[in-house]
Amino acid sequence: MGKRITVPFGSQHVALPEPVRFVFQTENEKIVDVEVDVGYVHRGIEKACATKFKYMQVGYVVARVCGLCAISHTLGYVTALERLMGVEVPKRALYLRLLVSELDRIHSHLLAMGHTAEVAGYENLFMQTFRHRELVMEMLELLTGNRVQFDFACPGGVNRDLTPEVEKVLREKLKVLEEKALWLRDVYENDFSLTLRWKGTGVVTEEMAKEMNVVGPPARAAGLKTDVRAEFDYLPFKEVGYRMVVLKGGSIYERNLVRALEVLNSIEMCWNILDGLPEGDIKVPVKGLPEGEMFVRIEAPRGELFYYIRGSKKLILDRVRIRVPTFANIPVMKELFVGMDYADVPATVISFDPCLSCTAR
Amino acid sequence: MDFRKFRKRSPWILHYNTGSCNGCDIEILACLAPKYDVERFGILNRGNPKQSDILLVTGPVTKRAKERLLRLYFEMPEPKVVVAVGACACSGGVFRHMYNVENGVDKVIPVDVYVPGCAARPEAIIDGIVRALEILKEKGKEVELPHWCSAQVKPPVNRVKLLDRCLEELHGRR
Repeated sequence: MGKRITVPFGSQHVALPEPVRFVFQTENEKIVDVEVDVGYVHRGIEKACATKFKYMQVGYVVARVCGLCAISHTLGYVTALERLMGVEVPKRALYLRLLVSELDRIHSHLLAMGHTAEVAGYENLFMQTFRHRELVMEMLELLTGNRVQFDFACPGGVNRDLTPEVEKVLREKLKVLEEKALWLRDVYENDFSLTLRWKGTGVVTEEMAKEMNVVGPPARAAGLKTDVRAEFDYLPFKEVGYRMVVLKGGSIYERNLVRALEVLNSIEMCWNILDGLPEGDIKVPVKGLPEGEMFVRIEAPRGELFYYIRGSKKLILDRVRIRVPTFANIPVMKELFVGMDYADVPATVISFDPCLSCTAR
Repeated sequence: MDFRKFRKRSPWILHYNTGSCNGCDIEILACLAPKYDVERFGILNRGNPKQSDILLVTGPVTKRAKERLLRLYFEMPEPKVVVAVGACACSGGVFRHMYNVENGVDKVIPVDVYVPGCAARPEAIIDGIVRALEILKEKGKEVELPHWCSAQVKPPVNRVKLLDRCLEELHGRR
């Protein structure tokens, strides 16, 4: 074999949307060693949550941990706080939260699928996916008032109600989106060149997934039945027709297919929510000071998101701990790279949909 | 021939995330996608600093991204413009005075256009880019230095030495 060559990948790279740094040791085309560095975007949010911000403000700060799954972070925090303080959230607020969280999942999944197509060299599909993603963004804007940082959920309920006019437009857009999502599923499942490129590349086996604690769509693509939506009761998912999508195989192809199928399931759930939205208040006042500790698990678009908070009858919490899905997925990425061709690396990294601003916080 | 006339016809973008929440980054991506489509201004997103004219920076600049940002800035050829996208790139936003951030891009490199918003809307980003194009047209070949840097530049500029000098000062400041 030839001598070792060091190839840096990141922190700024053509194929990378985010600052993560991999240093690969390669022999010819094969990778023999890899180092990962995720700390480029560390801002110190956990520390600030426990020193600077009052407990009612923290929900808006943790939303800025990640713009892609903003509702998941807020949801994790407010659910933990509500359970700690024993607040009964109105049913309508829960369903509205569920609606936004599913729409958020759709846009995040479409983004991930589009990116994977782009690094595979299929720019046309990337543009098409992003075009259909704009529909979801418009819906989210109508519903919450902002395109990315919604600040929709707040302790005790939600900040904005769904009006009948908005509901009408949502239904129209959802109908178009469903058509487009079906078409996208078809392309991601059956396109010849994509299948050729992705099938059997970057395979995570079921044992590997179990051993390395993979979460989210990569785990379900490997055949591991894990989804917090089914395991932890934080929103009424079962009532709106949630189904777990599990595939066998574990390569890039299956990961994207899981995302495409979950998008369809999420659209179905959105229909059910719009049809059966209960009447009532959207917010109850939160009084008192948090005391004790509480943890909550949330299924963010990328996998399990874990929140732990501890308070001791003060306006400022003692501790906020966040464990994010990408952090759980990095060990298996590292394992995958050893023995892989360097040319497959960008596609594999993007297919895990890494969110570094979550990971480093 | 006057290249200024043609310069604003096909500016290429370099995008760097210095610790933002990804919100502004996906809005920049949405700008490149069909609905907002900045390619009608001849704009392409290329990840290569040596070919780029516009540097789009998001995020409040974390302590570790600081050096990378300076490196990228010096690798870009003149004339170039810097656009700070988002509330946190302008002033630090919600992350202001957290222990690991620098409170805005203009603390590290000179900024020409500020785009506000959390997250900045695609319309605002496009407006910022178009304003940046006007500035790009007026700019010459002079090397701009960060306000905290005391180095004197005389053409011809040795970029490697200049970067070393700036990095030294940056680390000295810390």
